[in-house]
Amino acid sequence: MLSESARMTTAHEASFRVQYPNSRPRAARIIALDPESAALVNEVSKRKWNGAKFFTSLSFTAESGPGTTDQGMKAWLGDLAGRAMDLASEVAESDFVVVITAAGEDARAASVIAAACKAHNKSLIGLVVPKDGASEEDVGTSLDHLRPHTRMLVVASGRDYIETMLTALRA
Amino acid sequence: MLRKEQNDYLCQTDPGTPMGTMFRAYWMPALLSEELLEPDCPPVRLKLLGERLIAFRDSEGKLGLIDEFCAHRGVSLWFARNEECGLRCPYHGWKYDVTGQCVEVPSEPAESGYAKKVKLKNYPLIDKGGVLWTYMGPPEKTPPEPMYEFCTVPLNQTFMTKRLQESNWLQAMEGGIDSSHVSFLHRGDLSTDPLFKGAGGNKYNMQDLSPVFEVVENEGGLLIGARRNAEDDQYYWRITPWVMPCYTGVPPRGDHPIHGHFWVPIDDENCWAWSYDYHPTRPLSENEVSAMKDGKGIHVKYVPGTYRPLANKDNDYLMDRAGQKAGKTFSGIEGIGMQDASLQESMGPICDRTKENLVGTDNGIIMARHRLLRAARALTEKGITPPGVDPEHHKVRQAALLLKRDVQYKDGAKEALKVKPGVRQTSV
Ligand code: FES
Ligand SMILES: [Fe+2]
Repeated sequence: MLSESARMTTAHEASFRVQYPNSRPRAARIIALDPESAALVNEVSKRKWNGAKFFTSLSFTAESGPGTTDQGMKAWLGDLAGRAMDLASEVAESDFVVVITAAGEDARAASVIAAACKAHNKSLIGLVVPKDGASEEDVGTSLDHLRPHTRMLVVASGRDYIETMLTALRA
Repeated sequence: MLRKEQNDYLCQTDPGTPMGTMFRAYWMPALLSEELLEPDCPPVRLKLLGERLIAFRDSEGKLGLIDEFCAHRGVSLWFARNEECGLRCPYHGWKYDVTGQCVEVPSEPAESGYAKKVKLKNYPLIDKGGVLWTYMGPPEKTPPEPMYEFCTVPLNQTFMTKRLQESNWLQAMEGGIDSSHVSFLHRGDLSTDPLFKGAGGNKYNMQDLSPVFEVVENEGGLLIGARRNAEDDQYYWRITPWVMPCYTGVPPRGDHPIHGHFWVPIDDENCWAWSYDYHPTRPLSENEVSAMKDGKGIHVKYVPGTYRPLANKDNDYLMDRAGQKAGKTFSGIEGIGMQDASLQESMGPICDRTKENLVGTDNGIIMARHRLLRAARALTEKGITPPGVDPEHHKVRQAALLLKRDVQYKDGAKEALKVKPGVRQTSV
């Protein structure tokens, strides 16, 4: 007689997989850390997503300067339409957070986002995308900014990876 | 998650498919050298990328890999007589040389030249590092020979096995990229397997169960770094290289031989899991070789006379529920290779990726798929040679090392990741 595993691993048996969804949409928060990546994220945000929300930390970087982590938490995070957003509450209601920076750009804002993620126990993914003319050192600078804070850090050779990754994660 | 059409695109490797075309740009392991040791030995049947082939070594020792079926009435040349520099079909005596050229059609007068008009498709077959490699793409695009370190060291420093895996190649290969499963599925084996135990680095694996990952694209594929806390202000890094399309290296442990895999499609529902072990600077010891032959480390025990694992789906992989409960193994299956294979085969012949829920730490897998799709498209639409064809891309080593916390692994491990003949691997 055929073993259970032999019977159950045929293509025919695979067709009986339960057809109900096995997960609910996860709330992704995607935050661009610099002007270069903000432009990319802006493009990506126009596609259809399962509840992913897109932001930029530019207002923070511009107004209060990087390094000021405790004040201005509420003020700095602007969404792409320019509205002020509350970082802590965005992170609190998310399932995971992705920060994106272009190689060599100032990504120090990541530390503030990381603090919010830590406070709410959310995992933080960091993505470094290429920038025209960026050097190995530039990539290194970006990694320095992100490494202390992320559970997964990706250095992509193409900008299209943002969309690929978010789709793969069902964002 | 992948859409169905993307999943099909990546999983299908028959002739004419985009991924099939891409696989045909590389030298691929086809057989073990041990399968065709002597002139006029029995021919060997094999299927690769959805094509049925027969391999043989002729009376002069030349290797041939040709269409399996006789051009006359379609008999399998597995039944052929391997004699006097050719395979002779036992049905009506047609005979073929290593290039697939028909050299004799006994029923026709030799002067008629009929045999000259019959030729079976052939592919090159070269012997390197204990492996017979083939290239199934356009002859004018034949790349230089493979330069993976395991196949360039002396034969007494290297050991290769293959096992049949009854699933699509991609779900098998993704297991080689997915470093986050090791702390679960294989957790028992670090301290017991003779080819793993005793390495200084093992304790970091046990102490820190939630590694942090860094995925970096390189020319030939990817480097997947997993970082765990170590004493002082150091991190313990384990770095897994992936070379396109289907080579994965396992980061080393102590002075144990280094190992890794190729995942080669047979057809869409089966693949060969190739497993190598080598040491860059010393012969493998007798103990190491006998452990490998005994199915330890990443190797497996076989159904006698075959390359099918002894624990396979027909015997439920010898599932040991009591051992699972007692924590002897995490999944109840014995041996690292079959722990992986049993779970990957359980996904079904072709994993349905429309239903999966990937998380951030799966980015190695997401990136690998992304690069495969991108490269297959570039090749089929614009004729661009995919990464991993250039033998320079093969010269990457897996590494395990301690680095100061503020050191980039790309810098700190830069030398460790290079193949350096005569230099020991970087490993703790
Ligand atoms: S926990 Fe990863 S496949 Fe089930
Ligand atoms: Fe594994």
